[in-house]
Amino acid sequence: MKKRLVCLLAVLLLTGILAACGSDSSNDAESSGDEVVIDFFHRWPNEPRKSFYDQKIEEFEEANPNVTINVDSVLNDSYKEKVRVLVSNDDLPDIFSSWSDTFAENLVSSGRIKALNDLIESDPEWSGKIIESQYEGFTFDDTTYGIPFTVDGKAFFYNKAIFEEVGVDVPETYDEFIEVLDELQAAGYETPLVEGLTNAWAISHYMGTIFHRVVDSETLAQDYNPETAAFTDEGYVRGLEIFQELTTYMGDVSTAIDHEAARNMFSAGEVPILYMQFAEILMVEDAGDVDFGFFNFPEVTDGNGSPDSLTGAPEGWMLSENAPEEAEEFLKFLTSEETAAEFTEVDGQLNAIEGGVTEENANPTSYEAYQIVLDSPETAPWFDNAVDITIADIFMRGGQDLATGQTTPEQIIEEVQSQIAK
Amino acid sequence: MKKKFPLTPILFLLPSVFFLGVFIYIPLVQNFYNSFFDFNVFSNSKEFVGLAQIKTLFQDDVIMISIMNNFKYAIISVIFQIFFALILASILEDKLFRKVAPALRVIYFIPVMISISVIALLFSFIYNPQMGLLNSFLELVGLEAWARPWLGDSTSAIYSVIAMSQWQSIGLITMLFIVAIQKIPNELYEAADMDGAGRIRKFFSVTLPQVKETMFVNLLITVTGSILVFNEPFILTNGGPGNSSMTLAVHMYQTGFSRDNMGYASTIATLIFLLSAIFALIQIKVSKTGKED
Repeated sequence: MKKRLVCLLAVLLLTGILAACGSDSSNDAESSGDEVVIDFFHRWPNEPRKSFYDQKIEEFEEANPNVTINVDSVLNDSYKEKVRVLVSNDDLPDIFSSWSDTFAENLVSSGRIKALNDLIESDPEWSGKIIESQYEGFTFDDTTYGIPFTVDGKAFFYNKAIFEEVGVDVPETYDEFIEVLDELQAAGYETPLVEGLTNAWAISHYMGTIFHRVVDSETLAQDYNPETAAFTDEGYVRGLEIFQELTTYMGDVSTAIDHEAARNMFSAGEVPILYMQFAEILMVEDAGDVDFGFFNFPEVTDGNGSPDSLTGAPEGWMLSENAPEEAEEFLKFLTSEETAAEFTEVDGQLNAIEGGVTEENANPTSYEAYQIVLDSPETAPWFDNAVDITIADIFMRGGQDLATGQTTPEQIIEEVQSQIAK
Repeated sequence: MKKKFPLTPILFLLPSVFFLGVFIYIPLVQNFYNSFFDFNVFSNSKEFVGLAQIKTLFQDDVIMISIMNNFKYAIISVIFQIFFALILASILEDKLFRKVAPALRVIYFIPVMISISVIALLFSFIYNPQMGLLNSFLELVGLEAWARPWLGDSTSAIYSVIAMSQWQSIGLITMLFIVAIQKIPNELYEAADMDGAGRIRKFFSVTLPQVKETMFVNLLITVTGSILVFNEPFILTNGGPGNSSMTLAVHMYQTGFSRDNMGYASTIATLIFLLSAIFALIQIKVSKTGKED
């Protein structure tokens, strides 16, 4: 009797476990009847964008009562990791944000991303508003996999008041830039330039731009392609030396803080110069009361690269292959002219939708930046998205080591080349 | 008396065997199998590369840095968490401290109950170079020469991470020792008293031999924990600056998820498993646990 009870218990326990394991998969049947659930994943758990998207979700749900949108969000570096995990199985959200270039290409290579050519062609009224040139980073083998939304550019933001006080002008060349930094230092600004070097991407932004200044574009194109990458050009060593020289102006503090802390220092007027994205204009204005302007990374006179290319690439939205039709509608809603205009007002980041950024809804500083983006003769992608991630990782970690004096530019290039050899 | 097949105990064991199998042993074997392939999370197929990943392992400089950091972690943890925790526990169990011991026990144990992410955030403020408590304190007592960006300096980063772990874990080990000390029969102490033994003599001749078994368990927890350590360096420094505070587990994670090399990450995982298994075996052999009593 007792034994039978034990048997029964054991069997019950086991079936319980097995049932629990199995039940997860049954949740996947999302569209039961008319009710549709859309999984939405973006990378802005911080304000103001989080509230903006929460509100957009609410508006869309009100207009489409049969749709429920589940939203999830994590920040930058974590987002990259999480999306990689999600794309490796079938749990990929229906609609999610993505960077362009290699990052997008990697996602696309999983075969789980929806091609959007039909969608774009079927609704020219909507797709015609999107600035054509921004599609490039999402298009692979003539198939477009993402809708660009935000556009961006990276420039040195400088504190106008400090520049005036010290009596320095916006530098035109890299040598002048170093002179400016020296003068600022002499005037008592111990760290005239800061950066949050704990953020690997911040280092890659510097390096990407510097390489575009010192290495000619043909060599770059060749090295950015994983098939032909060599990194043998002497310009790379020169580029890393430039980066190393700049870190000497950043002080001890930079290797221990993140970019946000650096931005707060700039907003508080403690630091005269910081390399930032146009996307951060509103954040700087909100956090402090400094009058700032910007200048592109100056020309390196002895460099072989482009003297005035602007670093910055669009970010946009992707759909998973199995996304329901309603997710397509939601995508159009997110990239419509109305949403874009409102987005500019609330968030301040510039976007790729015609009529999204106007003199009326953007603040003057942002509008100035928008013109720079539109007028830039050549754009350079974010370095960490442009090259193979193992290579980018060596450069980014190497950048930290350069700042703490643990390595030399030659050693980094050597390491890169031995990685390529593998 | 006929010998019956012992069905009941086996049935009782089944659920745990099932869990261990699904969550520990199958993944372990799968991981070992994966380490012979080259693949990333995006790819749908795996490419068999034989022992190439192991070759990479031997050429990887970061592995050596990581192992050294893990060893530093283990050695410092053993010193602090075994020796200091034992001393702390015997002080707390001393008659002198009877009144305040319960309160102190709670105070020492509180860090154990706080989530590691919260603690890491807290310590990143303490270590902050501009407004951090630590640097401000050093300035206050006239030691500003010692102030530095603790987590941003490649010589101090790993020690700063280790220090945080000690602060957090010493409470747990102390608690385990307290339980062991409380189980020591009082007669032993009374006999020692009669022989005229002082406090220190009693600690070495009664307490220490009696808590040997617990000490072994704690040693095992601490050393294997040090080899597996992930959360603390991952949240505080992410292995940086450069690779200076990299540990094996962080290196494995980054290889797999940031650098898209799952095959090699599996190889590192196998290395971590081998290392912790070897250490556990050595400790079991040396301490001959379970042979007494």
